[in-house]
Amino acid sequence: MKSTRRTTALALAGALSLSATLAACSSDDGEGVTAAEAEEMSDEPVTIQVAIDEGLEEGAVEAINTRVDEFESEHPNVTVETQEYTWVGTTFAADLAGGTLPDVFTVPFTDGRGLIEREQIADISGLVAELPYSGEFNENVAVAGEAPDGGMWAVPIAAYGQGLHYNRSLFTEAGLDPDSPPTTWDEVRDAAATISEETGATGYAQMTASNTGGWILTTMVYAMGGRAETVDAETVTATIDTPEYHQALEYLQQMRWDDDSMGDEFLHDWGTSHADFGAGKIGMFISGGGDYGNLVTQNAMNPDDYGVTVLPLEGDDGAVLGGGTLAAVNAKATDAEQAAAVEWIDFFYMEKLTDPDAAVADARAVADQGQPVGAPILPVFDQATYDESQEWIADYINVPLEQFAPYSDNIYDQPLQPEPPASTQDLYAALDPVVQAVLTDENADVDALLADAEANVQNLIDRG
Amino acid sequence: MPTTAPVDRRRATPPADRGLVSASDRRRRSVRATWRTSHVGLLAGLVVVGLGPILWLAKSAVTPTQDTLRTPMALFPNGVDWANLSEAWVRFEIDHYFFNTLWLALGSWFMQLLVAATGGYVLSVLRPRYAKVLTALVLSTLFVPAVVLLVPLYLTVLDVPFANVSLINSFWAVWLPAGANAFNVLLVKRFFDNLPAEVFEAARVDGAGPFRVGWSIVLPMSKPILGVVSVFAFILAWKDFLWPLLVLRDVSKQPLSVRLPALENYVELDVFLAALAISTVIPIAIFLVFQKAFLSGAGMSGAVKG
Amino acid sequence: MVHPATSVPPSGTALPDGGTPATVTPMPTVGTGTPTPRRRPRTPASWVRNGGLSTLVIALPLVLVFGLFSWYPIVRAVVMSFQHTNLVQPAEWVGLDNFTYVLADPMLATAITNTLYFAVLALIFGYPIPLVAAVLMSEVRRAKGMYSALAYLPVVVPPVVAVLLWKTFYDASESGLFNTILGWVGLGPYPWLQDPSTAMPSLVLVATWSAAGGTVIIYLAALTGVAPELYDAAEVDGAGVWRKIWHVTLPQLRGILFITFILQIIGTAQVFTEPYLLTGGGPASSTTTILLMIYNYAFGGRGDYGAATALSIMLAVVLAILSAVYFKLTAKWSD
Repeated sequence: MKSTRRTTALALAGALSLSATLAACSSDDGEGVTAAEAEEMSDEPVTIQVAIDEGLEEGAVEAINTRVDEFESEHPNVTVETQEYTWVGTTFAADLAGGTLPDVFTVPFTDGRGLIEREQIADISGLVAELPYSGEFNENVAVAGEAPDGGMWAVPIAAYGQGLHYNRSLFTEAGLDPDSPPTTWDEVRDAAATISEETGATGYAQMTASNTGGWILTTMVYAMGGRAETVDAETVTATIDTPEYHQALEYLQQMRWDDDSMGDEFLHDWGTSHADFGAGKIGMFISGGGDYGNLVTQNAMNPDDYGVTVLPLEGDDGAVLGGGTLAAVNAKATDAEQAAAVEWIDFFYMEKLTDPDAAVADARAVADQGQPVGAPILPVFDQATYDESQEWIADYINVPLEQFAPYSDNIYDQPLQPEPPASTQDLYAALDPVVQAVLTDENADVDALLADAEANVQNLIDRG
Repeated sequence: MPTTAPVDRRRATPPADRGLVSASDRRRRSVRATWRTSHVGLLAGLVVVGLGPILWLAKSAVTPTQDTLRTPMALFPNGVDWANLSEAWVRFEIDHYFFNTLWLALGSWFMQLLVAATGGYVLSVLRPRYAKVLTALVLSTLFVPAVVLLVPLYLTVLDVPFANVSLINSFWAVWLPAGANAFNVLLVKRFFDNLPAEVFEAARVDGAGPFRVGWSIVLPMSKPILGVVSVFAFILAWKDFLWPLLVLRDVSKQPLSVRLPALENYVELDVFLAALAISTVIPIAIFLVFQKAFLSGAGMSGAVKG
Repeated sequence: MVHPATSVPPSGTALPDGGTPATVTPMPTVGTGTPTPRRRPRTPASWVRNGGLSTLVIALPLVLVFGLFSWYPIVRAVVMSFQHTNLVQPAEWVGLDNFTYVLADPMLATAITNTLYFAVLALIFGYPIPLVAAVLMSEVRRAKGMYSALAYLPVVVPPVVAVLLWKTFYDASESGLFNTILGWVGLGPYPWLQDPSTAMPSLVLVATWSAAGGTVIIYLAALTGVAPELYDAAEVDGAGVWRKIWHVTLPQLRGILFITFILQIIGTAQVFTEPYLLTGGGPASSTTTILLMIYNYAFGGRGDYGAATALSIMLAVVLAILSAVYFKLTAKWSD
């Protein structure tokens, strides 16, 4: 779910680069739009608001502004205004209802289905279909932004598979080998206990707040072979009170109360967990596999300390939970605004994934800014396109790829399973207090908690 | 009025030398000792509890993050980091959000004053035929807690009836609803009720219309009550959190109260504490300057209620 | 504690309408002023001539602002509580469905319990201490202003700043501020916000810190109203200091004590800032208050405005009953 910040960080990296290079090329053709381009463009002046990440550093904002200027000179009839926005589960509904969302904004995969169903985002499928790469999205990824008829209403701009992030220097300090991270849940538990004992840092941290509690718990359940919902024709059944959910919670219970390896903070959300991991206070935690950019650029993590591996999968059905980020267009946007918005999505998010020149320019400038280039992520298109794009930028890759090896060598072999389909964020929200209870109350009754949560989630699914 | 207030009114100036403890009490050693101890305790308590956290904030604002995290009570173990303050100023744009806060408070204050003064005047002095109905309607809103209005008021602000505009991301979304404050209206109305009616009648006989009477007779007479309303209105607006959080989604429009929590995750602890400190200095300075008005206003709120 | 006195008009959550019962003043009934002889206009022309039009114009700000931002939303709240709506598709009438849904929500009992727990704790923390402090302060002879200023200082700190500052105090590690101080006397470390049993008291402590100064000032003002003759009379009867407190001071404060009590309960029902910023309602829903629940229904992802308004209305009925009791009692004392 909360991969928005990561992707914006990536997008930002793109912005940093392209702005610099394109500004250079375009300086002499600022007015010289070719006839073909002019024909394509409608002359109608249009203004669109586009999302940029909250809390960016000045330099980053400047870079995006340059990128905006660049876009505007390519599309003289379009005026682009940036608006700070970060998708947060607990405020998004207010933004949506308030009509205050920018014309282009990002949402996690989990929200695509509901937004499309309720027509709360614009139907841009006609415009998207005209993009040259529209047919090439990975099936699993594309479906997140598609209406039942197959039209793509929201464009997948990034995908992730959950990973186990770990701090290499804490591993070393605790006498563990950072090059062979844990591969089973028991090993994760042992490593957490060792780190906690030897270094005093938090061995293993768990997100629990603003819907992340349910998100990470469900991630563990997927890996242990369970699922949160079963879909049978039209009926969705919540499957929360299951052996796998019990197993995951009991696992946390043991780490928290038997080993005391989970530190003092049990109300972590996405932001605080990443801040604390970046600050070196956490040995291991589970989050999206592509969070490196955020950790390094927004949470000042020392790249040498960073390590990531795949989640241990158990049983026949063990799978890695995956999701991603969609770029969507405000339902209230006019036709002209929609057209401009899709141009922007293409320009700002997609070009660097599909066009060698753009990709190279992007990578070069990002590297020049000292920002990370080439951190492995899941492909939005097919594997080949992704590998190809990595080759385009091979010269500029500046991240310690070998530290990603435990993840990148294995993630493509892991079965990827999308998030629970119905009322996903509600399901996550309902599980937050369950995880919090287990971590803060030694006598928490897991049976009762799960039985209640299942009834609760089923109720929410039925209410729609 | 129950209990204390009438007593208070009868003795406009209670003798300053007489309270609970009499002069003879004070001469008794045991009383003096107990009283003195408890006063030392009181002063110490007030300093630690009232001033302590604020002083700690001032200290931590210029202390590096790691020192604050590891030894929160140590005094500058590794020196002072003045750069925090300037970074907070630049990064948080405190001045910008401070002016948003100020602007919001001023607008809310003005709306409350306008509605309370005109409303009180109409309901108490002019008293048209529909005054009774209006008063009853205003009075009835006192029984409706603010939380009930949270959702419908939000939806109203999204699409104001008749005008069909959305006030979201506009200061009007805060200013206009602030005006609908029944407490203020009734406070002013009651004040006018107690003014001598002959004055208005005389003016009316002289041919002065409602505007003239209002502007040149009622308004000058109502300065004291409008002062009270002003203090309440300003404090309320300054503290507002939930409502601006909902209706001012555009970051550049937000007051400090909404902006500070949002930035908590993006900046280091020392800079964040520096930002908190700067945001506190301003209201404290205002308080120290207008101390009398604040304290008598706060005290009066009790007397008014009592 | 959301002591109403501190942010008068003190809607606990500082909603803009300020129309909480908490802001209530005992009002003389409508039209108690001396009746003015009225000249009833007969024709539109005479109505205008007699200032009817001007009166209407002067009444406009009140009518417009209250109409749009108070009366209309109240009516709308009632209507919406019987509807399903997500603001996109047309609203659908669903009878009592929202009410039955909310009443069946397991979170409701938790939220009610938590809110009552908050109220009780707020009374324990925020009731006796300001009273004692005020009684002591009323006897201070020199630098009285300094004492008041010290007591009132926390009230001036914006609530959001206070909450965020205390959040760092509550750091649950051994090197957290409170744990460091308690460690000096061999206590702790305590989990503060990180434990369902201590989270709520921690919340109430912040709220009390922010509000108690206002209560002190109110009591102080009330104490100056105690007639010195009463003390004189008590002394004639040979009463010492303690007996004077018990037999004169406290009975004289009875009214204001009762009123702050009721207002505090009404204010507590609308607690939002503290749980929203400190714990998000956790851990394990231990700090989810009723208003937080309403917020979550409406703005926390689901956009369930029907359930939110249904719960608001049920809360309103309870609070309206409380305010009616309050009115009745204060009115009785006014006679």
